[in-house]
Amino acid sequence: MAYHNQYRPPHYNSAPPDQGFLWNIFQRVDKDRSGAISDTELQQALSNGTWTPFNPVTVRSIISMFDRENKGGVNFNEFAGVWKYITDWQNIFRTYDRDNSGFIDKNELKQALTGFGYRLSDQFYNTLIEKFDRQKRGQVAFDDFIQCCIVLQRLTDVFRRYDTDQDGWIQVSYEQYLSMVFNVV
Amino acid sequence: MNYQGYGAPPAAGGYPGGFPGQQQDPLYGYFTAIAGQDGQISAEELQACLTQANFSGGYRPFNLETCRLMISMLDRDMSYSMGFNEFKELWAVLNGWKQHFMSIDRDMSGTVDPQEMNQAISSMGYRLSPQAMNSIIKRYSSQGKITFDDYVACCVKLRSLTDVFRKRDQAQQGMATFQYDDFIHCTMSI
Repeated sequence: MAYHNQYRPPHYNSAPPDQGFLWNIFQRVDKDRSGAISDTELQQALSNGTWTPFNPVTVRSIISMFDRENKGGVNFNEFAGVWKYITDWQNIFRTYDRDNSGFIDKNELKQALTGFGYRLSDQFYNTLIEKFDRQKRGQVAFDDFIQCCIVLQRLTDVFRRYDTDQDGWIQVSYEQYLSMVFNVV
Repeated sequence: MNYQGYGAPPAAGGYPGGFPGQQQDPLYGYFTAIAGQDGQISAEELQACLTQANFSGGYRPFNLETCRLMISMLDRDMSYSMGFNEFKELWAVLNGWKQHFMSIDRDMSGTVDPQEMNQAISSMGYRLSPQAMNSIIKRYSSQGKITFDDYVACCVKLRSLTDVFRKRDQAQQGMATFQYDDFIHCTMSI
């Protein structure tokens, strides 16, 4: 079943950053010196290549992925994970933004998602762009690209949990379906 | 299996070029003012249209994502835009939901609390477990309150997802089968 293997972004073997280097960044981002980086602080530190704020939904997703204590922010140890996660996405984005426009257009998005192992129809890419492109340019900026991939991954994860015999098919009740997907899409 | 929550039936639209009385329909005025030549409106235009027609009344205008969800709910030809017939259908459905919300928002604050939201959803006919209901409500509450916009977004999503499910529940037993690629396509399309 194709979806088992490659829907996560390819692992970039970037060497782990120097602790001192990371600590410098952490301090600069943690503006109120609380010892934890909040959603707002992370949002302010990230750029999506336009002059508009980074997608707050994406910021929330990233923080919650690494916030092990449910405190609504990340401490220095957790921040190392955040930093690597974002750097990996930057590398992927640059790889697929073949014309270096700073945006991923429909064809580039197709290459990226097909590369991750998804089999999606041509029409569906139009739907994805319509749904995720907050800049309304018909192409996705860095933050919206991440958001799109996160949603695809989450749906895949929830599908896998129900596909106990791993044959790529599930049978669910109406209520199970709503519970599975309502908060993901 | 009884699927609920649909509000008013779709508007009649069988006549070429519209339906009798369309020209006099005040909604048609709002719609064409914004739609222009192609007779279709985008999510941004829908937002403008609803604001101008003062749909929300005392409540704040809908945000863009909610409007996008509304277009998607009725977008049968995958054009990501809405024609006048769909707009009329949407208007009727929205009004139903608005009346419902207003009957619960007795202090006219523009928000309802989770209990009231729970009531509102159940009384639309959706039968969901407490856990499912809680996670849906949690998604839409800010500071323990749910705004009119969030309530509408929730209703639209419930209706869209129910439509997706129904198409795959041929036997109408409340069970549906999904293949993975199809699951991704249809669920992400709302």
